[in-house]
This record gives sequence, structure tokens and C-alpha cells, in this order.
Amino acid sequence: MQTLLTTVSTLPEIILIEIRFHGRGGQGAVTASRVLAIAAFLEGHHSQSIPMYGTERRGAPVTAFVRIGEKSRMIRSLVHEPDYVVVLDPLLRNTVNITEGLKPGGTIIINSASPPEEIEFTSEYKVATVDATKVALETIGRPITNTAILGAFAKGTGEVKLESLIEAVKTEMSGRMADTNIKAVEKAYNSTIVGKNRVVKELKKVALPPANSRADWRTFRPIVDPAKCTGCQICWTFCPEHSINMMERKSTIDYIYCKGCGVCAEECPTKAITMVMESEKKEG
Amino acid sequence: MSKPTPFQRVEGEEIMALGNSSCQGCGHATLARITFKVLGKNTVYTSVPGCIWIALQGSIPLYWRGTVFEGGGALISGIANGLEAVGKEMIVVGFYGDGGTADIGLQAMSAAAERNENVLWICADNEAYMNTGGQRSGLTPIYASTTTTPVASESRGKKSNKKNVPFIMAAHNIPYVATASIAYPNDLIGKLQYAKELKGFKYIHVQSPCPTGWGFDPARTIKVARLMVESGIWPLYEVTGGNNFKLTYKPRELKPVKEALILQGRFRHLDDSEYEYIQGQAVERWRQLLNVDGKKLPL
Ligand SMILES: Cc1ncc(C[n+]2csc(CCOP(=O)(O)OP(=O)(O)O)c2C)c(N)n1
Ligand code: SF4
Ligand code: SF4
Repeated sequence: MQTLLTTVSTLPEIILIEIRFHGRGGQGAVTASRVLAIAAFLEGHHSQSIPMYGTERRGAPVTAFVRIGEKSRMIRSLVHEPDYVVVLDPLLRNTVNITEGLKPGGTIIINSASPPEEIEFTSEYKVATVDATKVALETIGRPITNTAILGAFAKGTGEVKLESLIEAVKTEMSGRMADTNIKAVEKAYNSTIVGKNRVVKELKKVALPPANSRADWRTFRPIVDPAKCTGCQICWTFCPEHSINMMERKSTIDYIYCKGCGVCAEECPTKAITMVMESEKKEG
Repeated sequence: MSKPTPFQRVEGEEIMALGNSSCQGCGHATLARITFKVLGKNTVYTSVPGCIWIALQGSIPLYWRGTVFEGGGALISGIANGLEAVGKEMIVVGFYGDGGTADIGLQAMSAAAERNENVLWICADNEAYMNTGGQRSGLTPIYASTTTTPVASESRGKKSNKKNVPFIMAAHNIPYVATASIAYPNDLIGKLQYAKELKGFKYIHVQSPCPTGWGFDPARTIKVARLMVESGIWPLYEVTGGNNFKLTYKPRELKPVKEALILQGRFRHLDDSEYEYIQGQAVERWRQLLNVDGKKLPL
């Protein structure tokens, strides 16, 4: 595969690639950026992993960057015009401008259950998809998608080798953690679909939620079974978001503000609330 | 199960706005929500850097001021005295983390308590400096793994015990000292209602588990908080009138501490002797507290 890094050696002008990661607190975007930087380093490149620190909380949108190339090109700034954008969460696309500054013809590696053809942009980007949440749940047991998405990065861009990623995971993790995460990388690598996407004139208008909406923090959403809800108000008491209303003595959830923590489902004495995985389509 | 209606005793309106910025399942958000529901709108609040600031900022639409990490006691005293000077009767409440209370905040808080300023101090205790990534504090329990007391070949987590700040505050002879937990909202509400009506320095120390820093599934915040109380690790009590001690919740039998600790990643490394140490401590503490229950503390 012709990649930016392999062209590097022949064309000394292009001796740098820049990558931006988008995730949510808890999915491990910062660790993903470290592992990728280490993998590139193991292949003999210079690399940087740059976490962007703010008051990121578990669930909130997070950004991190990686720069790979020649030592002389290692400037120390945030990445503003990435060659690649890596998106750890399928729903972030609705609220975060993931293509901001992405170079024309750049590649987007996105966690999504949909094939690349269904992911539309108004400019011509290459898209690779992988259902990283599913991969992570099957391998690690938790929806932490950082290592899975790296498998997809390797497959979709060819900029690092799968073996280097695995070695890099081993430097950052040990024991069972390392084993399950390596499985995640491999499984994602093998199930990534690389496509050429359909460019559309205009994106389907999605009604944007209010700025303080927490809908895109959720991996799971609570669903109330009104038949089982006795109206005891326990979920309402403990919900940290007070995104539960008691309407006609039944628990009713405000999905604009619910962060999907699962406290309500855990505390409900009649098990009237269950947490189900968010689906991108339903959310659109 | 009978139908407990948890907030029955508070008719007040919901003050906390939707869409706070705390982590999923953060105990602080539940604490802030309950507290303001009880205190009502005639309240001024203060905070210092920490996760509790993040939980409040932008989501409690009342007058507020924040200051430097070490300045909680000074700020809250200034506001209370200023209000008094202009003849305004308002509730002045401060929310401070464990660091802002027990470490860097301790001297200013102690001074304010000694002057018996008319304020309500809430220590939102998540047992480490969570806002900056989970460094140990004076309120981190023994053996807990934090980013500054990591578990490694030479280290078994934090080496020393949790500071007993409620008793330090009781020794100031202030009108009210209490411990509380977000898993016992009725107990917390009762304590807030009592403190709201009192003049002088009131101190309520609330254990508020942090899924991110303690390492548990955010769905279990309340469960973890409850088990910490049920196992005697975090007993609920109050000290009124300067020295009258009373346990406000007495589990019929303490649960084994292991039930509470095993859910938390920060204790994942504990071996039998370490469990035994914490178990022994919980049982002994409970025995001593039962001894003074309903009696005057020799303060
Ligand atoms: C003098 C000073 N030192 C360090 C900091 C950085 N800082 C901001 S918040 C914080 C930790 C707060 O911890 P804690 O009071 O326990 O509250 P939590 O975040 O755990 O709720 C620190 C160290 C600061 N703001 N001021
Ligand atoms: S999952 Fe339940 S408790 Fe958590 S924010 Fe949503 S409604 Fe509230
Ligand atoms: S780090 Fe802990 S205390 Fe801070 S907002 Fe997150 S859950 Fe709450």
C-alpha cells in the first residue's frame, strides 16, 4: 500500500504525518495516542503523543494527537491540519466537527457498525469503519475502544504494522489486560472495512441538541419498563443528572441530559430499568 | 418492598440545572442536587478548585464565588461577614473537596470554625485529588492505590490512615458536626435541614464515591457508597451542641469490609492480612462509637 510514510523516504518534503483522535473520557483516546506513537517509534520513526488536557470527565468528548516523522519535523504544537482522524465513538460525529482541518483526501477511521458507504461527508475523504465497541465488548468485556480502533488504523492507513501495534500494547499494559487488548487490536484489524465514501452535497440535517446536552456521553441508554415500575422514585432520587421525571408515577427518562451512567438501573428494586447499547441509527 | 418516597420531606424545587459536567455516575452531582434542594434559593455558595466546583459550576444558578485551593475558609468567612454587615440573612454554604478541606484547606477552615463563623461547610469527600487525576490526600484510606501511591513491587498503596476530620472539627466545639453518605439521602436531608436552621459553624462530611478514581463501574456509585456505610468503614453520626454524640444509622450487623472494597479497583491488590487490618479497624471503630452513642464526648 502506498502510504504517506513510505513516500516519505523518497520525497524528503513529506516527512511528517499528523493524526487526531476523538473519543470520550473513559474510552482511552489518550492511551490510543500513546500506543500509536510507541508503535511508530518501534518502527524507527520519531513520534509524539499529545494529550489535550482540559476538564475532561468520564464520558465527555476528548481529543489527543499523534505526530510521526523525522526528528527535524517534530514541532511541539497541537495538530491543526491532520492527515488522519480517528474517531473512537460512533455518536461523536453528531456533535463534534470531526473533519475540522482534515487535509483534502485525508482518511477518517471511525468506530461504527455501518459500512463506509453509509458514512457521508460533503468533501472527499476516505473512510474506514470498524465496530470497535462490539470488538471491545467481545475481547475486553468493556466498551473501551482505544486498542480496537488502532487495529482499524493499521488496516485502514497502512502507516504502522499490526505487529508493531501489538508490541506497543505490551509496553503499555501487562498480564490479562495486555492479552485482551491485543485480541482487540487483531480482531478489529481483521474486521475493518476500508471504503471510498459517497460524497454528498448536503448532510441530512439532524436536529442539534442543546449545547449542554449529555446525549453523546452515553454508550448505554436506560430503558424503563412501565409495567415493572412501581413509582417508588428511587431512580429519581439517585440520578446524578436529575434526568428522570416521575410522570404519572412512572419513571420517565430525559435522553437529552442522561449520561448513561446506569445508576438508575442498578438501584431500581424491581429491575424495571435495563441498559441497552446506544444505536447510531436511532440517535440520528 | 414498601414504598419509600425519598425526597418526601423536601417540598423544595429542583435548583440544579440539567446538564452538569461531572463524570458519568459522579457522586458529587447527586450530593449537589440534594443539598440545594434542601437549602433553597436564599443561598450563596462558595467553592475551591476540585471536582465539586466542576459539578456546581454552571449548574447551580445562584450567586457564588470560588477562590484559590487553600482559601476556602477565608472566602466563606468573608462572604458571611459581608452579608451580616449589610443586614442580609442568607445561607452561606461552602463545598470543598477532601484536599480543600483536610489538607491545604485545613488551617483556614479551622480558623473559621474557631471564630464560629455562621456558615455551612460541606466536605465532598472522594478520598483523593480527583480533579487533577487522583493523587492521594490526607483523606485517602490506607492501602488505596492512587497515582502518587501506586501499587508496585515496593508499594502497597497509601501507607497511612485516613485523617479523622469530623472529630477534628468536633474538637472545635462548634454547634454541629455530622458525617453523611449520598447513599442515605434521607439521613443527609435531615442533617442539612438541621444545619440550615442553626447559627454558627456547621460541618457536614459527605462520602461521595468517585467511579473514575476509585475504579468501579459508574452504575455502582450508590451501591459502593452504601456498602462503605454498611461495613462500618464510613459510619453515619452527628455531634450536636458541641459534644453530644449520636449514631444516626446503626446497621444491625456490619457487613464484611471485603464486600465494599472488592468492588473498587483501588483495592484490587489487597491480600488477606490487609483485608484483616481494615476489617479490624472497622470493627474496633464501630465498637468505640457504640460506646459513646447517646453520650457526651470528652471534648
Ligand atoms: C495551591 C494549589 N495547588 C494545586 C492546585 C491544583 N489543583 C486543582 S484542583 C486540585 C485537587 C482538588 O482535590 P480535592 O480538594 O480533593 O477535590 P476533588 O477534586 O477530589 O473533588 C489541585 C491539586 C491548585 N489549584 N492550587
Ligand atoms: S443512566 Fe439513569 S441515573 Fe444515569 S444519568 Fe441516565 S437516567 Fe440518570
Ligand atoms: S473524577 Fe471523580 S469526583 Fe471528579 S467528576 Fe469524575 S467521578 Fe466525580
